[in-house]
Amino acid sequence: MEKLLEMARKVCDKAEVYSIEHTYNPITFEDAKLHDIESKFQSGISMRIIKNGKLGFAYTKNLLNREEILQNAIDSIKGEVKANYNFPITKELPQLDTYDPLIEKLTSSKMVEECMRICDILKSKTDGEISISSYKYIENIRIINSEGTDISKKSSLYGIYGSVIYPGSASGIWRVFISKKFEKFPENITDNIIELYTLSSNVVEPEGGKMKVIFMPNSMVTLNWRILSGTSSKSIYEKTSPVANKLGEKIFDEKITILDDSLDDRYPLARAFDDEGVKCKPLTIVEDGVLKNFYYDLNYANKLNTESTGHGYKTAQWGGDMISLKPIPALTHMRIKPGKKSLSDLVKLIDRGLILEGALGPHSGNIPNGDYSVGVNPGLYVENGEIIGRVKDAMVAGNIYETLKNVINISDMLYPSYAGEYRVPAILFDNISVATKK
Amino acid sequence: MFEKMRKILSKVDADYSDIRYEIKKESVVYFRGKELTKIGSNSTDGYVLRVLKNGGLSSVVFTKESDSESAVNTAMENAQLIAKNIEKPIEFAQTKAVKDVFTPELKEDPRKISITEKLELIKKYNDIPLSYKKIATSNIDYEEVIREKYFISTEGAEIREDLITTRLLGEIISKDGNLFQNVRVRAGGSNGFSTIRDQEGNFEERTSIALNLLKAKPVEAGLYNCILNPDMAGVFTHEAFGHFSEADIIETLPAMREKMKIGNKLGNDVLNIIDNALLPDQLGFYKYDDEGVKVHPTQLMKNGILTGRLHSRRTAAEFNEPISGHCVAEDYRYSPIVRMGNIFIEPGENSFEELLAKLGDGLYILDAKGGQTAGENFTFGAQYGYVIKNGKLGEMIRDINISGNLYKTLKDIVAIGNDFVLSKAGACGKGQLNIRSCHGGPHIIINNLIVGGV
Repeated sequence: MEKLLEMARKVCDKAEVYSIEHTYNPITFEDAKLHDIESKFQSGISMRIIKNGKLGFAYTKNLLNREEILQNAIDSIKGEVKANYNFPITKELPQLDTYDPLIEKLTSSKMVEECMRICDILKSKTDGEISISSYKYIENIRIINSEGTDISKKSSLYGIYGSVIYPGSASGIWRVFISKKFEKFPENITDNIIELYTLSSNVVEPEGGKMKVIFMPNSMVTLNWRILSGTSSKSIYEKTSPVANKLGEKIFDEKITILDDSLDDRYPLARAFDDEGVKCKPLTIVEDGVLKNFYYDLNYANKLNTESTGHGYKTAQWGGDMISLKPIPALTHMRIKPGKKSLSDLVKLIDRGLILEGALGPHSGNIPNGDYSVGVNPGLYVENGEIIGRVKDAMVAGNIYETLKNVINISDMLYPSYAGEYRVPAILFDNISVATKK
Repeated sequence: MFEKMRKILSKVDADYSDIRYEIKKESVVYFRGKELTKIGSNSTDGYVLRVLKNGGLSSVVFTKESDSESAVNTAMENAQLIAKNIEKPIEFAQTKAVKDVFTPELKEDPRKISITEKLELIKKYNDIPLSYKKIATSNIDYEEVIREKYFISTEGAEIREDLITTRLLGEIISKDGNLFQNVRVRAGGSNGFSTIRDQEGNFEERTSIALNLLKAKPVEAGLYNCILNPDMAGVFTHEAFGHFSEADIIETLPAMREKMKIGNKLGNDVLNIIDNALLPDQLGFYKYDDEGVKVHPTQLMKNGILTGRLHSRRTAAEFNEPISGHCVAEDYRYSPIVRMGNIFIEPGENSFEELLAKLGDGLYILDAKGGQTAGENFTFGAQYGYVIKNGKLGEMIRDINISGNLYKTLKDIVAIGNDFVLSKAGACGKGQLNIRSCHGGPHIIINNLIVGGV
């Protein structure tokens, strides 16, 4: 890496070399039986170079030929992608607890054993089809640049996903649990799956119309995706955000506070620096319903005459191979401030309504505009504060800039969502459009 | 290369093993509005090793040749761990061990066209929407993905195949006050750079749809009978039906598997569905899958009766059904899974005018944007549509998302058009991305679809 950086410095003004190595071991149980064990060892190197304000970018998996990757980067400069920013000088980062060495000792046998244990619990208490998967993930990232930055981090992640599927569908109740090391799947989570599954095993066909709807953490991605679109510096620059001119204005109900906190290392995957080597700090997006900040990477910060907020990540809407991606503005550690009610208290507040346990098609529709229109996957129907069954064919639709003004209450629990880095509560909204067959 | 791969396989002590090595070459040109944001060509590579031992199957993905020894050991350990913990040993359906080298015929090899020429062409297309005042921005991606695949197995298979995909994915965003509308533009295919040429008309047409949508009305939520255009019909076929023709999805869902038994009558009499990856020059074309099995056209539904299924060697053995050659990986980062190649409803007898007359009142919805399925329920969006009254096309509508139940909907497909269009660019995400996922069909009428509105 150092040698590649050295070579790059000789032919251009600024350079950055990014390397990632990770191992990933997933195990899946389908229909309560062991189905698959896989293993992945992946590595890769990408580089950005800047010459006369123009960007070059290249990547490879095996650094067999330094000249080739450098040449690819130099060739791509000819396209004249503008880059009037500097790579950061980043030193003295906070020490975050992101890696637990115990993860190295976790064997596949032990993971299989834990999956079996959960299968047995869920199987003995429901009549559903059981699907469990667990994985361990270890990641090393290092960034060096021509300004003298040399930073790295190592993270560990153990995750487990448990679901009970209504027979005859592929839809069900699921929960994830993640940690920096192996931990038993908490009993309150299995209890929660069993309770919701049992309460919703009857199929009901209610009439549609405007009603109260709880967006559960699993379906909050529907709203999050549109919040991310509206508050990204990329959307501001491209003039596709409906809230571009609303900084300091109240855009949501005052109960809504949204922030990004990648330094919070109580949870796995905390970050002290982003994928451009910029120091991370907590950022408030919405406070008591008032729009406070947009999030920036180096590129869009430069275009909009401001500073990066440490939100440049090598990510894309559909994942993709990290090494091949250029950083873009991304909000990776979103937290929505919890309320004080338990989930069952929220349910009691519903005269007639729906619990949107999971959403089908959150990625479809007019995202820049904030519109959503999702299928229920599943939807639990509530009357007079009680869950009376599940709805199969229904759609929940709205616009987040309306929906998030209609907050009745927010649950007190935070739950991992979106690859585990987000922590969100369940939120009860009023007056949401639900279309059904009646 | 084969020699190196054979050396790795020789270290495996198992009943069966195979290894795939791939070099993946990508070239991209991305525009965001007027700005070029990414351009360049890159090459990456890696290995996927699969081991079947004592009835346990496991795979290891690795990038460094120096990791091959630990990959072999890990794969064997994991296969044995699986074998120890399952009741029914995993078997592979028999297949012929093929030795072949296959490079597709191209109309203009994209590798022989300079990146500068590609840049100029994409810029020319991008300038079309941007010349209109009410177009807020455009996102145009040109991508070229070349997979040079090497596959060998301990049964003696030895296959070299190249998959060359060119694709143009664009989004045109119009704006009026605080209202944004977006439409997609697509081009590309499996048979060379010519699929990217002459797209000016395509960009003009999509731009005018984006502009017209600013004046369209949001659709009212409710239950409608709908005409779906070929792209919507294709997405329905792929999302709602196709995924449950993939044996690995229903393999472990006993109740679903029961419903999807061969011979069950699931659809309306007019419905015939096939997956044919061998149709020449279409996006989903390939010759061998990533288990070295030659792909076969597979009739999935005939006159509404389920007649076939898409398989890997593992699922074909499990279901005791014929292998179909549909076990495909995104690239060297993944072991293969069951995928559709080119799925479509076969054309019927009705002209578009006849479909309009048959429908009477309802909606005409066009061009999918996003779709998802969970078991029997599906949801997907349409980019735009029209109200139909008394068999006549009326005003334009927007914000259309439809939802339905697979089994009810298959019976509610009541008429099939006589036209036929296949998709030019794909992106099916089933844990891994399949950019050659191809679907299409004729216009069709589906009754009783839930439309979400906004």
